[in-house]
Amino acid sequence: MTTPSPALEAQRAELQAQLARVALGDRAAFERVYQMTSSHLFGVALRILNRQDAAEDVLQDAFVNVWHHAGSYQATAGQPMTWLISIVRNKALDMLRSAAARHETEMPLNEEGEELDVQDERPNPLGLLMQAADALAIRACLEALDAAHRQSLALAYYHGLSHSEVAAQMSAPLGSVKAWVRRGLERLKKCVDGR
Amino acid sequence: MNYNRPELLDRLAAEYVLGTMQGRARRRFERVQRSVPAAQAAVRAWNDRMAGLAAPVEPVAPPARVWQAISARTQPARATRKASWWQGWWKPALGFAFGVLMTTGIVLLVPNAFVSIDQLAQREQALPQSYVGLLVDNDNVPRLLVSSTRHGARVTVKSLRPIDVPAGKVLQVWALPRDKEGKELPPFPIGVAQPTKPPGSTTFEMSDTSEKLLSNVARLAVSIEDAPRSKGDQPGAFVLSGHCVKLW
Repeated sequence: MTTPSPALEAQRAELQAQLARVALGDRAAFERVYQMTSSHLFGVALRILNRQDAAEDVLQDAFVNVWHHAGSYQATAGQPMTWLISIVRNKALDMLRSAAARHETEMPLNEEGEELDVQDERPNPLGLLMQAADALAIRACLEALDAAHRQSLALAYYHGLSHSEVAAQMSAPLGSVKAWVRRGLERLKKCVDGR
Repeated sequence: MNYNRPELLDRLAAEYVLGTMQGRARRRFERVQRSVPAAQAAVRAWNDRMAGLAAPVEPVAPPARVWQAISARTQPARATRKASWWQGWWKPALGFAFGVLMTTGIVLLVPNAFVSIDQLAQREQALPQSYVGLLVDNDNVPRLLVSSTRHGARVTVKSLRPIDVPAGKVLQVWALPRDKEGKELPPFPIGVAQPTKPPGSTTFEMSDTSEKLLSNVARLAVSIEDAPRSKGDQPGAFVLSGHCVKLW
């Protein structure tokens, strides 16, 4: 297990203390939690949703949720940031899927009434995955995976893509992508747990 | 599906946290997490494993309107909420603390009331997962103990003290739900209880399981009606009411 830096450790401890105050209905603590975490959480939501308005809605819902359920955080223990990220990712994924369900009516159209090809301008998430691997000291371990496996894992995690969306983006058969993701997850577990 | 297989739970939890588990499978697995602690633990472990992946994502400061909206939506309920129509007679000051005190008192004074639960507890080393309500009258005297197992639809109503039900009238039990923000939603009837002499008990069947009907129900109440009421009906005056708590 890698030892977190003292600065990170202090931040974690403060966040934990503030969340405990939020559970008691302390509004100042709630605002402090927002100040400490909202930029990071908004970045995560924005990455997945790729839309400013949707990411704002997700962040808003997530924090309203935190206000009402900070008490349950104590019971689940774990890292406070992990808990917050899981709330934001869950809400972002739900919104992404419900937006995908309405996709046809929302696609922007050009003057001829044809669907515009909206460019995804987000950088390739594989770079992020390997940056994270560096920070977690698992790069060598993760590099044992095929590039395609890492790529599908990164697309699913950072962009919230489904198996079939990953398959479309990588022009690969759905069955292969499912297997790649599964192997990617197995490897990730091995790498993180083996530190 | 057998959720007792750790390797299966681990795989499901991984796809759930990654986000590749979707739609109905996702909703189903969320329900599983609520009832199977091992599933909850598996999800927690995967949240921990994947939390580090989010670290390099570039932070973006959200616009100020986001905090303003959050702040407005989390204002203390009392400041913004008008007293709802059924709260008139209810004394909030006696609220939850009283319910807890009374429940404890009842356990001590009327141990027989809990015999079946006790027996279960001895076998399971824990109380069964149930919804329980202790209903008190306007003088805060406990009259009924209402309970139902989490995944069952049968409600047991135990009489603690006599209730005067005029001939030809029925005891209608109501659920008083709240939404996620804690705002009261309209009450709905869950069944009719036959009056019995203490310490007798009766049962009735609800239209669905407790988990489906009662998970967002904060309080239960009883009114005396001419006939059983249906969903959408307005209740008459509540003669009994109490907190509905989850026993797990």
